[in-house]
Amino acid sequence: MAEEEEDPGFDEDLDDGGNGVDSGQGKRKRLFSKELRCMMYGFGDDQNPYTESVDILEDLVIEFVTEMTHKAMSIGRQGRVQVEDIVFLIRKDPRKFARVKDLLTMNEELKKARKAFDEANYGS
Amino acid sequence: MADPDRVKPEDRVEHKSLGSGSTPGSGEPAAGHSRPKEEGKARPGDAAAAGEEDEEGSSLHTSPAKKLKLEQDKKKEKRQKVDEDEIQKMQVLVSSFSEEQLNRYEMYRRSAFPKAAIKRLVQSITGSSVSQNVVIAMSGISKVFAGEIVEEALDVCEKWGDTPPLQPKHMREAVRRLKSREQIPNTKHKHILFH
Repeated sequence: MAEEEEDPGFDEDLDDGGNGVDSGQGKRKRLFSKELRCMMYGFGDDQNPYTESVDILEDLVIEFVTEMTHKAMSIGRQGRVQVEDIVFLIRKDPRKFARVKDLLTMNEELKKARKAFDEANYGS
Repeated sequence: MADPDRVKPEDRVEHKSLGSGSTPGSGEPAAGHSRPKEEGKARPGDAAAAGEEDEEGSSLHTSPAKKLKLEQDKKKEKRQKVDEDEIQKMQVLVSSFSEEQLNRYEMYRRSAFPKAAIKRLVQSITGSSVSQNVVIAMSGISKVFAGEIVEEALDVCEKWGDTPPLQPKHMREAVRRLKSREQIPNTKHKHILFH
């Protein structure tokens, strides 16, 4: 019995050559089980979330990443995914937009700090 | 890690004199952390502003460009002060957490998607390699996305009178609600308006 929110079309891209049992939606092995458990606890769930819920969330995240990637490939420079495209796609969502800006700014600062640190070491 | 507990109050005073060391430098930006890049600019801006004040009082020929710069500098200072207030408030809050809350907060800050897996996933879709920034951005927004779903599911769970742990029915209802608010991207169903 397929649930509506997990589009069966999503799995067409994955050609499962193996004989894995169809455990709902993801025929590939679980990519983020451990990290998602910690994340769900951090966001307010129980310390031991249900495995089915973790699976549903993993499928949703993978679908999200897939959609964003496809959209990013279709705008800006075609066929490539660039940061500017992601920022453009996320512009309407204030939380995600702020988060991306913060992350990229932080990354730049860290790179500068590391570079300055290395040069200081090199000099002395 | 960018733990607000570690940000010392001295940094607040430091920001005017030196723009480099005052942020909790690491890979986890807090929502309200200060921005040293702008602090570095604020110092020459402050000096210029101090010089400007005399001129403005005495004569009326500060050019619009200078006035604009003056306003921008004042806004920057205000923004930094707001950031610092926020950092202080976070410190007070975190210091009053119970052990369970501290655990949960630590998990909230530290959990992240593995960069390698995200990179592999994106590259398998594009077929070409992607830059590191793309991976950073993608994992960041995926975490926010997961958070939105979990928070909505917790709302549903509470509304239905259930308790955590979250069950698949809560997750599905959460997704249904977010879809109706268009917070979940869906390019599979193209609604053609005029055909």
